[in-house]
Amino acid sequence: MSDERTLEASLAEVVEHAFDYRGDVTVVRRDGAELVGYLFNRDADAATPFVQLFAASGGDPVTIPYADIRAIRFTGRDTAAGNSYAAWLRSREAARAAGSARGA
Amino acid sequence: MSVPLSQMWTVATYVLKQRLRRNRRYPLVLMLEPLFRCNLACAGCGKIQYPGHILRKHLTVEQCLAAVEECGAPMVSIPGGEPLMYPEIGPLVAELVKRRKYVYLCTNAILLKQKLEAGLFTPSKYLSFSVHMDGLREEHDEAVCREGVYDQAIEGIREALRRGFRVTTNTTLFDGASAIRMQMFFDEMMELGVEGMMLSPGYSYSKAPDQEHFLRRQKTHELFSKMLSNPKKGWKFNQSPLFLQFLMGKWDFECTPWGNPTYNIFGWQRPCYLLQEGYATTFKELMETTRWEGYGHKSGNEKCKDCMVHCGYEPTAVHHAFTSWKGFKATVEATLTGRL
Repeated sequence: MSDERTLEASLAEVVEHAFDYRGDVTVVRRDGAELVGYLFNRDADAATPFVQLFAASGGDPVTIPYADIRAIRFTGRDTAAGNSYAAWLRSREAARAAGSARGA
Repeated sequence: MSVPLSQMWTVATYVLKQRLRRNRRYPLVLMLEPLFRCNLACAGCGKIQYPGHILRKHLTVEQCLAAVEECGAPMVSIPGGEPLMYPEIGPLVAELVKRRKYVYLCTNAILLKQKLEAGLFTPSKYLSFSVHMDGLREEHDEAVCREGVYDQAIEGIREALRRGFRVTTNTTLFDGASAIRMQMFFDEMMELGVEGMMLSPGYSYSKAPDQEHFLRRQKTHELFSKMLSNPKKGWKFNQSPLFLQFLMGKWDFECTPWGNPTYNIFGWQRPCYLLQEGYATTFKELMETTRWEGYGHKSGNEKCKDCMVHCGYEPTAVHHAFTSWKGFKATVEATLTGRL
C-alpha cells in the first residue's frame, strides 16, 4: 500500500493527516533519506516547526523540522480502519445460529 | 458513597490548598498509561489502535515516577492498554503506594487472579483495583467483544477481595443500555462485595471500532435519571455524587480538561485523556501552553459537544463540592442519605 501524499498539498495539511493516521508513515527528507515510523506529534507553531516519530526500527523519538521534509508517504496499515467490531458481531451471530441449530 | 474517609480528606485538603494558593488550574488525578498494549479489543475503545512497534513499547518505572512527581496529583489512575500486561506493574504500584498516592489500577481483570497468586501486590488503603465491568454477563462480553470475560473478571474480583484488596468497578455506558439491567448489575456487584462502582458515559472516540453507540447528552440524562433517581440504599458509588447528579441533568457543569492529565510514551497528552491533539514534553509546558479555552461543552468544539465523561467533569464536581456551599451541602446530603 502506498497512499502517497506529497507536498503538493500544504505541508501543514499533510502533517496533520499523518498525525491523525494510526499507521506508520515514511518521511522523505530533502536529502533523500527516508524514515519509516509512527508520527505521534507535531508543532506547527513552534519557532522551528517539527514532527516527532518513533521509528519502526526502534529507539528514542526522532524530531524532524518541517523544513527538512520533502514528502510523507502513508505506507503502513491504518490500524484504526479495521473492522474488529463488525467481525465480532458476525462471529457472535454465527455462534448463536450454530447454537440454535444444535438446540433445534 | 463509598470513598474512604482518609481519601476524601486527602482530596479535600489538596483542593483547599490549591484554592488558598489561588491556583485556578490544578490536576486531581494523573492518568498514567504505561503502555497501549491490551489483551482485549473493545468496541468502544479508541486507545489501542497503533502499529505493533508502538504497542510493544512501554514507559520505565522511572519515567512513570518522574511524571507522578511532576504532576503532583494526589490520585493516580493506571489505565492503558491493560496495565497488568506491563512487566513492571508490581514495582510501579509499590513505589506509588510508598509515596502515598491513591492508586486506581484499571484492569479488565483477565490476568488479575494470576498476578495476585504470583504475589505482585500487597493490600493497602492506597491501592484499589478498578475492574472494567460494562454490565451483566451478556452486555459486558458484548462490550469487550469476547465471550467469557465477565466470568474471568468476577473470578479476579473474588480473589482480590478474598486477599483483602480494595476493589471497585468502572462501567462505561453506551446507547442502548437498559436502566433495569444496569440496576440488576449494581445489585450483583454489591452482592459480590466490591467497595464501590464508578460510572461514565463513553466518549465517542473517532478511532473506536463501533461508531454507532455513543451516548448523546439528552440520552445520557435520560439513562442516568432512570437508573439512579431511586437508588437502593446498598448501592455504593466510588465517585462524586455531584458528578452522578450532573449525568442525571441536575447540574450544568463545564469540563475541566486539565483535571485528569494524561502521560504516556508520547509525553503529556493535549488537552485531555480523550482527545489527542499533540504532546508536551513537560507537565508545566502542558499546563502553560495548551489553549484550554478551545475545549469543553461551551467552547463550541465539536469534539467536546456530547462529552460528559468522568475525566473532564468529575474534577469539576469535586472542585464544586469543596469550594461552594451549595455543592458542599448537596455532597453531604447525598453522602448521608444515599439519594441522588
